[in-house]
Amino acid sequence: MNAIKNKAAEQVTPPGKSLFQSLQGFIASIKFSIILLTCIALGSIIGTIIKQGVGPDEYLSLYSEHTYQIINLLGLNDVYHSPWFIALLFLFAINLTLCTVRRFMPAFKGSKKASVPEESAMMDMSMSFRASTSIDDAHLFSILKGYRISYSGVEGKVFQKGVLSKYGVLFIHTSIMLILIGGFVGLVAGFKGFMVLHKGDTKNTITIGGEKPYEKPLGFSIKCKEFQVSFYPNGAPKDYVSTVEVIENGKIIFEKQIRVNEPLSYKGVHIYQASYGSAPSFTFTIGGERVSLREKEAYRNDNISLMPIRFEQDIHNFGPGIMVAYLEQGEPRTVWFVKNIERFNEKIIQGVPVRFVDIQENIYTGLSVSRDPGIWIVWAGFAFILFGLYINFFQYYRRIYIRNIAGGYLVAGIAIKNKEAFKKEFEMLREKLNGIPS
Amino acid sequence: MAFHHKILGIVTLLYLCLFFIHLIFFAFKKEKIVAVMWPLLYGTLGLHTVGLILRWLESYRHGMGHAPLSNFYESLVFYAWCVSLIVVFMKKRLNYPAITVCATVISLFLMGYASISPSVDRNIQPLVPALQSNWLHIHVLTCFLAYASFAVSFISGFLYMFTWKNVIPPRDILDEINYRSVVVGFPMLSAGIFTGAVWAHYAWGSYWSWDPKETWSLITWIVYAVFLHARLMRGWKGKKIAILSIVGFASVIFTYFGVNFILSGLHSYAT
Repeated sequence: MNAIKNKAAEQVTPPGKSLFQSLQGFIASIKFSIILLTCIALGSIIGTIIKQGVGPDEYLSLYSEHTYQIINLLGLNDVYHSPWFIALLFLFAINLTLCTVRRFMPAFKGSKKASVPEESAMMDMSMSFRASTSIDDAHLFSILKGYRISYSGVEGKVFQKGVLSKYGVLFIHTSIMLILIGGFVGLVAGFKGFMVLHKGDTKNTITIGGEKPYEKPLGFSIKCKEFQVSFYPNGAPKDYVSTVEVIENGKIIFEKQIRVNEPLSYKGVHIYQASYGSAPSFTFTIGGERVSLREKEAYRNDNISLMPIRFEQDIHNFGPGIMVAYLEQGEPRTVWFVKNIERFNEKIIQGVPVRFVDIQENIYTGLSVSRDPGIWIVWAGFAFILFGLYINFFQYYRRIYIRNIAGGYLVAGIAIKNKEAFKKEFEMLREKLNGIPS
Repeated sequence: MAFHHKILGIVTLLYLCLFFIHLIFFAFKKEKIVAVMWPLLYGTLGLHTVGLILRWLESYRHGMGHAPLSNFYESLVFYAWCVSLIVVFMKKRLNYPAITVCATVISLFLMGYASISPSVDRNIQPLVPALQSNWLHIHVLTCFLAYASFAVSFISGFLYMFTWKNVIPPRDILDEINYRSVVVGFPMLSAGIFTGAVWAHYAWGSYWSWDPKETWSLITWIVYAVFLHARLMRGWKGKKIAILSIVGFASVIFTYFGVNFILSGLHSYAT
């Protein structure tokens, strides 16, 4: 009945109510919540069907140009950060707040004082009995376990249990708001980036991806002392471990091993083991000195400056080779070194003999670096929501009235939810008090 | 063939037995048959548990030592276990052969698919680094208990569409079972999503990455949130609720299977 009434109230705009007021009513209605949730769900589905955040080429290989334009226009290549999706979440937050306030306002404005109903009203209740023995408070309290007294007077008493469960929905909805706020804080005040470190490297910046990647200073440095990958006998990866030092103002703060599932945390920044890879490094002897260089790593001394710039696994079936750039009388030049061919693995550059000796595979560690100041708000939201769900669905509110009448007393009980469980409880109470059904 | 495979094979046969016992009941309508059914279900669930534990112990013998929750085969076997567990847990409400037969069919299907399908690898595999965490247990447990509760909700929604006197329970009872199972499943799914988010924070560096599995679990969560609001706030009952529970379970199926087979993402362990 109630539901039907609500429906009618929402749909029909009474005369004298302005369009603004009825719009206000709509925004605070559960109908609007369901529409919004459905839209959020549909938007999310689109996001799982259309590949997210890849380049135009990949879309054009999957869809026609026309479709791609539509995808681009609606932001379907990045649904979860598109303006319309965020607007939906924002509207949902407003709707949720209004619905919750509208529902709980009456309870906070001043709940009706509990009182013992009239004798006839109590007799009419579906659960009631009369008892003729006298009863003292201590005995009553021992029987009504977990109940609290909410009213006590000469005419009788009111007991209640599970008061908190009335606020379960309030807990749940507030928690959802907390999660949304926490997510928003993280989006605005947090960052997520990436850092690649070879063994021995030290870096104090991270790369923030996106359309225009840039380097962001961390405020401290990370030095990779060691990186190891271990495998199971079947070849599947078993463990990735980066041993790193956190260095701030030239001082080593601490050393830690970062593993998958075991990130490093320092000053609110979390550093995770995300990936690994390998890059070759090239060993040269330059004028008798042994030097190991990576691609695009410059070598400079008084006589010579050079840089390996391009590595090829196989050059015309002669095996691996590296192109080296150098300066000759101020002019940039390049030359290929081929490792396995005697004739091509040694060159005199600016009078210095340079020999290409060896190639080594160097593994590097990929660390993902993030800061999210909203995380604790989100965690609090999670905890509260579970608590809210528990008290809302597994606890329930019930009240027991006791009225003194001539020759004994009258007991009645009500529960709005979970009536069958309460019926059993009430039946037990009747047996304990030797009550006679009324 | 490893011992735990044999035990789980027997468990599959027991589910088949249970199924046939139900059929015999529907044919002859003898109450005595129902009396056999529950003890057999307890026994099957017990042996199923033993099978899972043996597989767990076996993994230590291979020097890997992890709970049997790490690949598709293990998740199927575990899902079947959760369905039986929820049925036993809700025994008082679900004491109708029409409901238990549906639950048996689901468990039988999951076990059968796990042990027969050529695309399912039944060996114990080592844990990839991302799964080496204690969050694995609580995350998988809560998610699959939620899936199992939603399976019960689906069964009652599905049965609601038919009438068969003395076999299919009365509609108001189905409606109540539907609601009660969602009341169990929804907090479980919430807990599953939250434990997953906390774990993702430690393993992937972000508690929510809009990975297809995460997104679909959110969609499922929304469907059941709508279910609860429609019922509790708008007073929906009967057919509408039955339809919502079927839609919800379709979303569960997609979250569990569809995402693995059709969409790829961070959660691609279970394929």
